[in-house]
Amino acid sequence: MTSLTPALQRTPAKPFYFNTSAHLLRITRYKANTLAELRDALRECPEDSIFQHSFRTLQEHHFIREGFSNDFAHWALSACNEPSLAERLASVDVREFTSVAELRERFIQIVEEYLEQKPAAGPRRADDTFYFCASDIVVMPTSFVAHALHEFVEGLRRVSVHSIHHHFIEARLRLKLMSNDFSQWLHEDVGLTETARALNRVDIYTATLEGVRTQMVRILERALL
Amino acid sequence: MEPVKDQSVGSHLAAAETTTATPAVPAPSPGVQPERRRAPRTWETPPAPVPPPHLDDYQSIVGAADIDELRFLARELKGKTVKMVNSTAVGGGVAEMLNRLVPLMNELEVTTHWDVITGGNDFFEVTKAFHNALHGSDYEPTRHAEEIFLMYNEQNRQRMQFTEDMVVIHDPQPAALIRARQETAARWVWRCHIDLSNPHPEVWGFLRPFIEQYDAAIFSSQSFARQLPIPQYLFYPCIDPLSEKNKELDESFVQKVCEEFGIDRARPIVTQVSRFDRLKDPLGVVQAFKLARRYVDCQLVLAGGGASDDPEGATVLKEVKDAAGDDPDVIILDLPPWCALEINALQRASTLIIQKSIKEGFGLTVTEALWKGKPTIAGAVGGIPNQIIHKLTGMLVHSVEGCAYQIRYLLTHPEFAAQLGRNGREHVKENFLMTTNVRRWLLLLRVLLHIGTA
Repeated sequence: MTSLTPALQRTPAKPFYFNTSAHLLRITRYKANTLAELRDALRECPEDSIFQHSFRTLQEHHFIREGFSNDFAHWALSACNEPSLAERLASVDVREFTSVAELRERFIQIVEEYLEQKPAAGPRRADDTFYFCASDIVVMPTSFVAHALHEFVEGLRRVSVHSIHHHFIEARLRLKLMSNDFSQWLHEDVGLTETARALNRVDIYTATLEGVRTQMVRILERALL
Repeated sequence: MEPVKDQSVGSHLAAAETTTATPAVPAPSPGVQPERRRAPRTWETPPAPVPPPHLDDYQSIVGAADIDELRFLARELKGKTVKMVNSTAVGGGVAEMLNRLVPLMNELEVTTHWDVITGGNDFFEVTKAFHNALHGSDYEPTRHAEEIFLMYNEQNRQRMQFTEDMVVIHDPQPAALIRARQETAARWVWRCHIDLSNPHPEVWGFLRPFIEQYDAAIFSSQSFARQLPIPQYLFYPCIDPLSEKNKELDESFVQKVCEEFGIDRARPIVTQVSRFDRLKDPLGVVQAFKLARRYVDCQLVLAGGGASDDPEGATVLKEVKDAAGDDPDVIILDLPPWCALEINALQRASTLIIQKSIKEGFGLTVTEALWKGKPTIAGAVGGIPNQIIHKLTGMLVHSVEGCAYQIRYLLTHPEFAAQLGRNGREHVKENFLMTTNVRRWLLLLRVLLHIGTA
């Protein structure tokens, strides 16, 4: 396969199997009524909880285009009335992390720095309790398999948003790469490196997951021309 | 022609003699002004139940991919069996939910049985008292009450068989059936539908040793959970988008209901649907409406029930009528419980929906409003903040004044209000529909049986 072969005529080295994941929410024993308690619980809670309140919450709220990034930021604003901390927490892009441990450290660092600057905020009681949850995950196949690029586009159009989230957002924790399943396949098995990069640049924080799907389909349609 | 200030259907129905499904026509009460509106028409007797929908019927609502996911989730559970046990076959949210859930699980070839416990009046008096005490009410527990509770649970244990792979016990009434656990190979789950955030310590102390023997517990909100040594899962309550209360309606039917209730669809309609109960703060809603109407034109519809079978409900209804005074734009409807289609139509006709509760379980009327894409203003209590993310899927308020302001704001910013409505509907579609509920049960079964979990 060479990069000069038109995209439509390329035969992928391997088919792309669209999978999806389903999550069952578990309530853990960790909770926070103050920012100091949030910091402590962030240190001690299971990694599943960090995943739930950052990666997973994006899926639960996939229909919101703006103003929602992770549960910690939302709580800092709505329950603690700390907009500056909320902005800093909201700026954490889960796609910059390939491990939940690194992501946890980033959240802890932001809260610690904020409480050093504003110690009075630490013990102040929040309006609502933050309950740390976690997910039990089941990964399963879908009926979509792409043996060619046009089938891949068709699959992308028709799978659920849960599948998009599974391959596009959660994937980096599996791959341990700053990439996603779709881009990996386009790069490694189809040889469409530029298209793979363009897909990976789609911004998940300024679009709904349906919007992300639309952007990806558009990028692929351009590649098929 | 001057309007009447309220249309109390319940009392009219009580006075009607006919027992057929004939629309009841109320006689005007002495002293009220002549009617502007025609009499509301509601069926006097409950309509015949409609057959439960099939999985494919949901496809046009949630999409083929979501239904496919349910089938994939169920595929490896084929042949597994589940038993649901609760305390009533009809009436109440749990029975309503099971009526829809059980057929769908069976359609997915996860054979699901539903058993209802039996007991005498003394048992249900004790469990009612337990229920209230677990919600935080005062209660004097007695040894006798505990013995009654245990005796009927034991009778039911001996009557029932537990041969399934998973047994789900709903709420506290049958909780002691866990004593059958040793005789079975099943995974046992306690599904708690009530708010346990502030339980009566002695009643909870009595129940807790039973709950700790289960493999898992399920709560409707994070805040309802207790510290327990077993895994606790979060299952939000759900609505059925194909039920009478939530299905799509013909515009002509919505128009007809509004005409019959005297609601002017040319002007904004602000509605609260709930029982006439102080915890729903209908008086606060009337006050908020009156404050808001100094700035914006609108009508208020307060639609609910509970005044005919609950003395306190009747008192609250009277207070609400007094607060409304002669205001022709406050329309108070005391509806019988089987007016789901009418409630649906009222919600769909509304410009805004309010649920200004002071205390709330989950608040399924909020879910219903969001599902209909309505901009919703609600009290930040109970499970409501799980549904309304402030400024994203609705507006949360903490006071009459806050509620009044949000009515003004949303009526004067229709684009923002419409965006809230769109987000709210998507939120329900993702998290609070019957299909999501089926998904959670399938997932739980897979998790507890260790089938294909990560």
